[in-house]
Amino acid sequence: MAPKKKEEPKPAAAPKPPEPEPPKEPEFNPAEVQIEFTAEQIEDFKDAFQLFDRTPTNEMKITFAQCGDLIRALGQNPTNAEVLKVLGKPKAEDMQVKMLDFDQFLPMHQHICKAKDRGTFEDFVEGLRVFDKEGNGTVMGAELRHVLATLGEKMKEDEVEQLMAGQEDANGCINYEAFVKHVMAG
Amino acid sequence: MVAKMIRPNLQVYGRQIKRKIRKEQKCQQHPHSVPKEYSLHPDPLTRQFFSPDATRARSMRAALLIQRWYRQYVARLEMRRRCSWNIFQSIEYSGEQDHIKLYNFFGCLMDHFTPASSQKKWISHIFHESDAFQEMELERYFSYKNIEVPDVHSGPHLTFPLTISNVTELVDAFKNKQKLHAHYVLRLLEKTLMLLRFLPNINHVSTCKYKEITICGDLHGHLEDLLLIFYKNGFPSAETPYVFNGDFVDRGKESIEILLVLFAFQLLYPHDVHLNRGNHEDHIVNLRYGFTKEVLGKYRVHGKQILRLLQKIFSWLPLVTVIDHKVLILHGGISDKTDLNLIAKLDRQRFVSVFRPMRGEASVRQEEAERDDGRRRVQSLSYGTAVRLRPDLPRHSLHSASRQEVGSVEEELSERRRLAGLGLTSEQGSAKVLQTDAWRQIVDVLWSDPMAQDGCVPNEVRGGGCYWGPDVTQKVLDRHKLQLLIRSHECKQEGYEFCHNRRVLTIFSASNYYDVGSNRGAYIHLGPDHIPHFKPFQASRTTRELTLRQSVGRTERSALQALRMLLFTHKSELMREFHQHDPQHTGLISLRNWAVAMETVLHLGLPWRVLRSQLVSSSHDGMLNYDDWFNQLSIIQPNAKIANTSLLETLYKHHSNLETIFRMIDTDHSGLISFEEFHQTWKLLSSHLQTNISDKAISELAESIDFNKDGSIDINEFMEAFRLVEQSRAERKPSPISAEQTTDKH
Repeated sequence: MAPKKKEEPKPAAAPKPPEPEPPKEPEFNPAEVQIEFTAEQIEDFKDAFQLFDRTPTNEMKITFAQCGDLIRALGQNPTNAEVLKVLGKPKAEDMQVKMLDFDQFLPMHQHICKAKDRGTFEDFVEGLRVFDKEGNGTVMGAELRHVLATLGEKMKEDEVEQLMAGQEDANGCINYEAFVKHVMAG
Repeated sequence: MVAKMIRPNLQVYGRQIKRKIRKEQKCQQHPHSVPKEYSLHPDPLTRQFFSPDATRARSMRAALLIQRWYRQYVARLEMRRRCSWNIFQSIEYSGEQDHIKLYNFFGCLMDHFTPASSQKKWISHIFHESDAFQEMELERYFSYKNIEVPDVHSGPHLTFPLTISNVTELVDAFKNKQKLHAHYVLRLLEKTLMLLRFLPNINHVSTCKYKEITICGDLHGHLEDLLLIFYKNGFPSAETPYVFNGDFVDRGKESIEILLVLFAFQLLYPHDVHLNRGNHEDHIVNLRYGFTKEVLGKYRVHGKQILRLLQKIFSWLPLVTVIDHKVLILHGGISDKTDLNLIAKLDRQRFVSVFRPMRGEASVRQEEAERDDGRRRVQSLSYGTAVRLRPDLPRHSLHSASRQEVGSVEEELSERRRLAGLGLTSEQGSAKVLQTDAWRQIVDVLWSDPMAQDGCVPNEVRGGGCYWGPDVTQKVLDRHKLQLLIRSHECKQEGYEFCHNRRVLTIFSASNYYDVGSNRGAYIHLGPDHIPHFKPFQASRTTRELTLRQSVGRTERSALQALRMLLFTHKSELMREFHQHDPQHTGLISLRNWAVAMETVLHLGLPWRVLRSQLVSSSHDGMLNYDDWFNQLSIIQPNAKIANTSLLETLYKHHSNLETIFRMIDTDHSGLISFEEFHQTWKLLSSHLQTNISDKAISELAESIDFNKDGSIDINEFMEAFRLVEQSRAERKPSPISAEQTTDKH
């Protein structure tokens, strides 16, 4: 009953809205990535990298599982699929165990930064408008929770709860422009 | 279209959602069948009907987008939380380093002390209490009989021997913020001391009696957490045994209550409640970290008696607990020299405080140091001979610092030494070595921290004990045929953490340690299989009600405030460093150089570039105007009564150490010291710190602090003078981060 991952791209393939980051080549090759960051930016990234480094002796290494978080903390918003791709599609059990250092991280981050479809404020609002059945600027909180937990890269119940905390009004509706501002401000 | 204003019928709505879910599921199984709703709904803006697949695709894309943004939001919050955490930890550890420097200073003084010098009278009082004298003192202090409890006293009344209803009443009383009368406190403590004297250094516990044993870590005066543990896990009893792994006091505001509760339960169930000593069960540490202040504040008349008795009790607390000869529980950790057989045999009660060096201790270390003067070495209290393995990290070398200080104090005191002709005989020398070994074992057990690399190096951050690696864990545990080491001593985000291939487990039970929402606490259940089961928790209802962003925001504000106060105390050094990067005196410094300068001066190992956005509000083209920045930063200013601001800065920087020294001088705990004592203290400390403060400045300062002009200084008033207060709104320039008044970090 649980949908397999390969089912999801199929409906998207039929009409033609571009998927976020359709993989042109199957593998990600870090050697082919040209680093276009400035030296200042790289220093900033190093600082942040160190912050995520949880090795007791500061070896400047982070786990695979942290890679996505770090990229996001630095201002990008890739999907989990994109993160797994730049990591070389590791196995689930490797995520907490395998480590990468800063030099391995940099091309991954660069690749994600170059991705075109990053989503702006308007995209986001547009996305939520899809669920605005009455066209009045609000979506039903319950519906949104359901969507976030069942579609796309599903969120867990407590994650949904965190996101929606304090956003619904007495009727269970969310004004989505305010909601978007709330999420983007964080 | 009129928006629906009525509250939707939830049952009906529930059914609608269920229907939707079922259709959704069908949809996912058969991608080409689409729920009717989607196919019938026109796009609200364009009034077009999209094909089912297109609508579905748009929903999918929208969901993905929202999920991506959510994950970014969480990651950024996580980054901020880590920053705050780092700030608190580095400030905490750098504070501890200061304390160690103070210890080194006293150590040298002690070594050069001569009976003849009257000026050192106050040190003798602290360091030279003979055992006989102590026993006599205790005789007097056990006179709880002379303390009467008035009938109208509203707090709990205890009867001895204690009963379970006594103890339950006690816990309830503390919950309601009541106080236990000094009479009962002293009686309880006396009974506790009698019990502790019979306990060995190493407690052996067996699980064959019990289903499982509960193990708790640091509590640090957080009574709320202890009560939460009791609530979730049950009171200690013959069926519910507990091990408490040290650090019951300091920092939190209800340390004495925690002690009384733990001791009471131990008296009730002496075979089922086990307490290990922590590094904070030490009266000199308590002087600095708030326990002494708390007791004296709550028990104005009998506080000093209580403290004296507690000193003895702390020294009699067992050091180690072992379960089934398989699981080792102790507060700090181990070193490669740790030997349980040695620990079992030593006289633990002789080590009232690890900060009281025994006679000759400091000079033994000095000799060792002098032998290897070629290499740059670091020292900690117990570990004198290892080479530093991490040269890139900007940590203070206590060795080099103390060498400097030794030099200057040496000059001052060498004259007296020569006069007195003090020296150690060879007999005394070898006895010293034995004592030193025992002392080292204890310091290692109470102060060490684990590290990931193999080996064993001095713990220069704490200044005591060592950092030990997985190979040492293996060696020591195997040597004694043990499987697991459970320790505390370090705050952990989730309340617990494994390391060294899951052979070392850190457990920490004070939630919200740095601030509300900073971390969870945890306790462990251990059964006969010796597999630990974790029970994390977080006290305070307000924590649960805060959203993630709110609690991160709060901790962050608190951390930044603490950091800004630290920046204030280093203002002159920072300005000097900035000027070095700005030889043309343009008043501007690049952001990169700003980060470098900050780390050079403060040595906190913080991610300055990441913090930059929080600390620096405006920069143009990557350049920062540092004068403006300091002005913006100084939204706090010290109490205006003290005129001389550069002296003030110096005093503020060392105010924690000053307070510690004052409390030590004030041996009768009256809270007052004379001008003369104040003067002497300051002179010695300033030569130790190599600052130049004239006698005149000190006298003026002393006079301005004697607010009631009676020739003596109230310690609390002195500390109050240095409390940083919020600038009045009229004077303050607009600042991007809101200011919160914080109290001293005690």
